[in-house]
Amino acid sequence: MKLQRDVYIAGVAETKFGKRTVDYDGLGREAAFKALKASNIDRPDMVGSAYVGNATNGFVTGQTVFKNLGMCGHLPIINVESACSAGGMAVYSAIKDVATGLNDLSIGVGCENHTMHRQTGAAFSAAMSDIEAMHGAVMTGKYAMRATRYMHETGATIEDLALITVKNRRHATHNPNAWFKGDISVEEIVNSRMVAYPLTLQQCCGIADGGAAVVVGTLEMMKKLKIDKPVKVAGAVVESGPYHNRPRDITGDDITETTSAALYEESGIGPEDVDILELHDAFTISELLYYECMGICPKGDGLKFLRDGQSTYGGKCVVSPRGGMLSYGHPIGASGVAQIVQNVMQLRGECGGYQVGPTPKVAMSHVTGGGLSGTEHAACTMHMLVKGW
Amino acid sequence: MANQEEVQKKKEKIKEPDITFFHPDILEVPEDGSLPFLKGFKCKKCGGLDFKTDICMDCWGEEFEMIPLSRTGKVYSFSDIYIGQQGLKTPYVFAYVDLPEGLRIFAQLDGEVESFKCDEEVKLTVGPIRMNNDNLPIMSYKFKKI
Repeated sequence: MKLQRDVYIAGVAETKFGKRTVDYDGLGREAAFKALKASNIDRPDMVGSAYVGNATNGFVTGQTVFKNLGMCGHLPIINVESACSAGGMAVYSAIKDVATGLNDLSIGVGCENHTMHRQTGAAFSAAMSDIEAMHGAVMTGKYAMRATRYMHETGATIEDLALITVKNRRHATHNPNAWFKGDISVEEIVNSRMVAYPLTLQQCCGIADGGAAVVVGTLEMMKKLKIDKPVKVAGAVVESGPYHNRPRDITGDDITETTSAALYEESGIGPEDVDILELHDAFTISELLYYECMGICPKGDGLKFLRDGQSTYGGKCVVSPRGGMLSYGHPIGASGVAQIVQNVMQLRGECGGYQVGPTPKVAMSHVTGGGLSGTEHAACTMHMLVKGW
Repeated sequence: MANQEEVQKKKEKIKEPDITFFHPDILEVPEDGSLPFLKGFKCKKCGGLDFKTDICMDCWGEEFEMIPLSRTGKVYSFSDIYIGQQGLKTPYVFAYVDLPEGLRIFAQLDGEVESFKCDEEVKLTVGPIRMNNDNLPIMSYKFKKI
């Protein structure tokens, strides 16, 4: 979007991710309250609007999150759903409120509890009104087809794909909020249960629960709230996935290519200047393809970029420094917000044992959402954040 | 008695399969026993070809001419599914099949896991893709090895 006035990020917070016995609203409330307090907001009637991303937990999820904070009645609460892009879109909407002058202070929240509400042993799919879903399509399989084709065209192997999991789990080692972390061998990943060929269990994000929140406002508001390190929003883009029944190259990703191009243009920041990147690594193959789609490396060089260590600490662009979805798991409404929370913390140098050094100055995030027939993804949300102090 | 018969009829009606062919507007299985085919719809306004649709996505034309599509295509990509949709028996295989007309079809493949390859030619067939609420098979288009 064209930002009509500057927008900054104040407090951010996230819960621990994993299998949680606290429901979505409790997770969202924990994150929201922490983010509000971290913004030095000390009463329930200061925030002008709230956007809450959730995909599967039912009706009026946002109001359910905020009612016990005494905030309902003081502000409009708008619920945002776009599958895995829900959370990213909630933050985008809060930014839009401030950028357009509707509000000086807004909050974007993402929260989801899957494990208390869904049966295990089945994969996510679109609704049965979708012709591909009726024929048995599942998200794991749609990503798996991208991997199959990528391997066919480039000669990459399952062992190559597994390197993404190895890297991201290693990144998460010292991250207290990540679920799966530490050393895991290529062999262990390749030999884990086959989910959808060529994707084995350890190449898929876990079905997890969690919450995250981001408070945004004007520069004046940052001064009023005495925010030491306001992070500036350099760009925010939401796109819907182009739909057609014609052949497309699925070793690329049309919506990620156009969304990142729009973000680079809007922010005036190119891929070569991005220090850290949280992207939609729901499956190993996606991270590999997105290096190329976003121009972080040239088309066809994804695997080389990974092998050369360019996407880990010390490389050109540290991808998934928090450990990504492969370590956090993927509570689909929460992930997009958690990426932004972690990017803000990295820019502020607050990440302790997993802090990227030297302290990054530019951080990008990317979440796609949904896989309908005729699209790779129904939605894509990206944000560019820069040091603003 | 009449009333009882009616109740019985109603019960029987509920047990009728809710769907036998999924999307008969896309798949034609001729009654004369000739080979089934997928239907393409050519927009009378712009000439664009697509599957059954009410509105042409290129020009918003609303009138179409039905064109039978090729019965063979190429597997663009596939996956052997071991953890699938709830209620679907695993493993199963699905693929994107590209037809010479420039249309891509998502469909299940009839055959064993670990037996398909990218760019392999396959041909149209008809078979069960899943069970309906009455545990009866829902028939639809699939592809199999030539």
